[in-house]
Parts: sequence; C-alpha cells; structure tokens
Amino acid sequence: MMQAIATDYVTSRRRVLVALALVSLVVVLDVVGVVDIIGALNDLVGNLSGFWQVTLIYAGMNAIIVMGLYFCASAGSLSVAHAAIAGMGSYMAAVLTTNFGWPFPVAILFGAGVGFLTGIFLAVATLRMNHLVAGLTTLAFGETMAVVAFNIDYVGGANSFIGIPLHTSFGLVFVVLAVLVFAAWRFDTSRLGYAARAVRDNPVTAAAMGINVPWVKTMVFALGCSMAGMGGAFRGHYILVQNPDDMTFFFSLTFVIFWVFGGSYTFVGPLFGALFLTIIPEVMRFSIYERYIMYGLILTVVIILRPQGVITRVPLGSQIRLFGLVDLIRERKLPAWATSALGNGSRAPAEVSQDDDS
Amino acid sequence: MEQFFQQVANGLNVGSTYAVVALGFGLTFSVMRVINLAHPELFMLGSYLTFLLVTAFGFSASTAPLPAAIGMLILVLLLVMAGTGAAGLVLERFVLRPVRGRYILIPFIATGGIAIFMQNGAQRVWGADPVFVPSIIPFHAFDLGGVNVTSAQLTTFLAGVVVMLALRYYVRGTRWGRATRAVAERADVAAACGVNVNMVSQLTVGISSMMAGVAGVTIGLLYVSAWPFMGLLFGLKSFVCMLVGGNRHVEAIMGVGLVLGVIEAMVTGYITSTLRDAVAFSMLLVVLAFRPNGLFGSYEV
Repeated sequence: MMQAIATDYVTSRRRVLVALALVSLVVVLDVVGVVDIIGALNDLVGNLSGFWQVTLIYAGMNAIIVMGLYFCASAGSLSVAHAAIAGMGSYMAAVLTTNFGWPFPVAILFGAGVGFLTGIFLAVATLRMNHLVAGLTTLAFGETMAVVAFNIDYVGGANSFIGIPLHTSFGLVFVVLAVLVFAAWRFDTSRLGYAARAVRDNPVTAAAMGINVPWVKTMVFALGCSMAGMGGAFRGHYILVQNPDDMTFFFSLTFVIFWVFGGSYTFVGPLFGALFLTIIPEVMRFSIYERYIMYGLILTVVIILRPQGVITRVPLGSQIRLFGLVDLIRERKLPAWATSALGNGSRAPAEVSQDDDS
Repeated sequence: MEQFFQQVANGLNVGSTYAVVALGFGLTFSVMRVINLAHPELFMLGSYLTFLLVTAFGFSASTAPLPAAIGMLILVLLLVMAGTGAAGLVLERFVLRPVRGRYILIPFIATGGIAIFMQNGAQRVWGADPVFVPSIIPFHAFDLGGVNVTSAQLTTFLAGVVVMLALRYYVRGTRWGRATRAVAERADVAAACGVNVNMVSQLTVGISSMMAGVAGVTIGLLYVSAWPFMGLLFGLKSFVCMLVGGNRHVEAIMGVGLVLGVIEAMVTGYITSTLRDAVAFSMLLVVLAFRPNGLFGSYEV
C-alpha cells in the first residue's frame, strides 16, 4: 500500500512539473509576443457592453483573492484578513508603479511578495492557536492594518492613494485566474496538497505520519496570502484608487462568504462563489435598493439549506456535485490503496459530515 | 486632572453601551455556540424604533416636566425591548436554531446575510441619511466637581448599569440563569439533567436582543441620530469586547466594555481621534497573543 501511495506522489509530482513547464512556456511566449492570449481575450470582450466588462473584471479579481482563501484554508487555517492583505499588496504595487515608475509585472510580483511575507508572519503567529482564535487574530490584524494605512500620509491616509495608472485588463485578470485555477487543481493532488489536507483533517496524525506540520501550514497560508496580495494589486490598478476602508473586516467577510457559499471543499466552490456572488448583485441593479436585501436573504437561505456550500464533493473521490444533482466532473475510480483501505469496493463512502473540517 | 476625569466620564457612558451589546454577543455565543452577526443590527433597529415611537407620541423634551420625561423614557424602553426581543425570537427560530452546532463559519454567514438584509432594509425604509431621534430627557449639564456630565450621558450610564446588574442577577441568582450556565458549559449534559435547551436558547437570544434594544435607545439619546449602518463598527467593537473578556464570566465582558470605552476616550482626548478605532483591535491582538482564550475565560467551539 505504501508503494502505491509513493508511486502516486511521484506521478503527481511529474505531472505538476510538466504542467508548470507548459504554463511558463505559454506565459513566456505571451510576453515575448509570439502569441497574444491577453490581447485575444481583450478583443473577445471588446464587443460586450461596458457593464459586463466591468462586472466580469471585478468577478475575476475577486476570484483571484478567493482562490487565495482556498489555499489558506486547505491546511485548516482560516484567514479573515484577506481584504487587508489585498489592500497591502495594492498599496505596495501602487507605490512602485506610481511613485517609482516600476514596470507593472514587477510591481505585481512585489504585491504578491508583501502578501507572502504577511502570510508567513500571520501563520507563524497563529500556529499554536485553535482555528477560531487563529481566525480572530487575523481579523484583528486586518483591522489594525486598515487603521495603520489610514494614518500613513505617504500613501494618502484617509484621502486614499490616488493617481494609480491603469494596467489591469480583462485578458490579464482571466489569464492569471486560469493559471491559479490550474495551480489549485494540480495542488490538490500534489505532495503539498495531500499534506495540507492531512494537516487540516488531523494535525496530530499528520505529524505522526512524518509531515512537517508547521512548515506545511505556513507555506500553504503564505501561498494563499500572496494570491490575495496579487489580486489586490490587480484591483488597485483597475479602480485606480486604494482606500483604507477597503481593508476592513466587512470586505474580508465578503471573501469568506464567497468561499463558504460556493463550497469550501474544492477549488471549484470558491471560484463559483466569487463569480456568482459578484455578478448577482450587479445584474439585480434593476432594483437599486432591493438588490442587497435580496442578496442577504439568498445568502442566509442557501447557507441554511446547504451548509457545506453550493458545490461540494465526496471527500475521497473526485466527484464534484452541484446541489447533489449534476456531476460536474465524471466519477473516477479511486486509487487501489484508497479502496483497499476502505474495504468497501470501488465506491467512495456516502458524503461524510464536513461540519468539523470544511 | 479634571480633563482626565472628564475623559473617564465620557468613556464610561459609551463603554457601558459597548458592554451591554457585548453581553448579548457573549450570551448567545456561550449558549448556542453561534456568533450572531445580526446582533448589532437589532441594536440599530432599537435606535430606529426609538425614533418612530418618540415621533409618533409627539413628545418634546423641552416642554415636558421631568417626571413625564422619565415616564416616557421607561415606556419607550419597554416598547423597544418588546420590539427587538420579538425580532430576536424570530431570528432564533428561523436562522440560529437551524445552524446551531455547525462549523463556526456557517452561523457566521447565515447571520451575516441577515445583517446585510437588515441594514439595506433599514436603508430602503428610512433612507440612507441619518434620521433625527428627538431627545427624551431634557438637556441639563451636571457639574460633578469640575467634570461636566449631560443628562443624556447620565441616563445612558445608569441604564447600562441597571441592565448589567439585572443580567448579573439573572445569570447568577435565578433558576433560569443556572440553566443558562449549564447549557453554556455542556448542552448535552444539561439536556440529560432535564434542562430544556431550546427554551434556554430562546430566552437567551430574547434577553440579548432586549439588551441590544436598550443600547439602541441610549445611543439614540447620546447621538440624537440613527442611521442604517450604525451597527457595523459599533457591533464589531462590542464583539471584540466579548473576545477580549472571554465568554466565561459576564462580569469580564462588562469590565472590558467599560475599559474599552475609557481607553478610546483617552486616545481621542490625548492623542488623535483617527487612532481611536485601532484601540479595540490592537487590544484584541495583544490579548489573543498572550491569552488565546480571552482574559478571563475560554471560548470553546
């Protein structure tokens, strides 16, 4: 059985390497101008109305940040500071492009780097806490950062940071989102992904199996936070203003809502939640006042009826279900080691309770 | 030194309101293991109900005699408590009870949806601009040895203290209070010993909501206005009070609420008002770093 698991790791690692090579090849080709995916995507939405372009770009940027939340949570750490981290990434990138005239991609990388370092700091600080207290610590950290940004005059303070150049486009956002979704998909079957889920489900057992629990938690959390920083940097270069109010708890809560509403168990859920819950209030603009009233009610009703999120899956298989009706991904046979461990044939067990670990 | 005591006096009456709202958070969290994000919105509802009632009665504090003003205040308090208490019971039955015992984020989001609903509902009904809440207590400034206290501040503080003492008596001195503490400790064992857990939940949320209503009335007295999003920052700070104090002792929550109000008044008075909102959260960061279960007791999930 151990042999089977080891083989699985090796093949998944090789797949990750091949995938990474392919992605970087495409990115390099795009940058040097051999193919123009971003331009092609921009042309594609050029025909849409301005409303849909703006809404879709917003949805894409939110989805990038929420993918970060998925990464953070895959090792069991809850982050209620993603809006603050996105804001910090945005400030960093905006200062670099506006005040120092650095190229946009480098600024984005620095935004992600700020998120990464913040993530390492937060993860190390919350390593010994239980998940509720860890989440509350990130909450307090985010609120404190918002007040700090409010009081730094160099980045505009209460007047917001203004004059950021426009760099973000539809194609760019969605290419990055596609890369992140691909990364999340491969992450789920990577060595780090398996380790992260083992840590999430039971840290003590994971440690007994030889997983370096602090390292895995910190790494995964920092990765997720770097995505938030990157998403924030994109957002700053799209709305051209960075306001300290965007970093407060209520915006972080919005991201958590996207993530849990869609279903926190797979990467498809957060993606769906971010896109759906960003677009829905916008298409409900026919009733300006009623739209958030309905939004709140929809949220409450759906979460009461379906606490595990809209899209979820049988934990051991790779089946992703929408409202338990539609199989988004065809059922795949479980690996031999999993079925032998379960000892009940080829079917995964019926959906187990996700209340404690979702 | 007089300025110092003036800041203490200013802080204590805002702090007593923090404490009253925070106690509601703490009670609901202890008994149902649910963080009720809609709790501050009941406080907002209390302020709007005060506005509606005082306007409907056509009461004017400047012409009415003092006994009439006090009678009016008590009447408004009772009616608002009835209103927010009823709203709390509806909330408990249809939102909190279905998600009770789930993973902590599920009730968080379910009640968060209700909070969004109530904020925007209030905005739809009463408009986005603050409404003027007519004063119930005639204005009078008392001079307590160089410290100026207005009648509204005094009423706020007294109402807060009365509510806190009443709650302290309820939790520590009555049969239902003992049942409440039993459910907060271990709901299943309490049920096995014959405590009606659902009844206790309803009572707790009802009492919490009534306290939020009282806080809404007194904040209406202090700020003479109500607006749809008044619950946001206020509720968050009260929530922080509950976390800093820990939810084991009601006295801890009360104390932290008062202390937070005083520290905020000090920061506003001596440093700068922009740093005021950072006090609560830096306090939470420090406390969680050194005592991960709050200063005086534990939140177990």
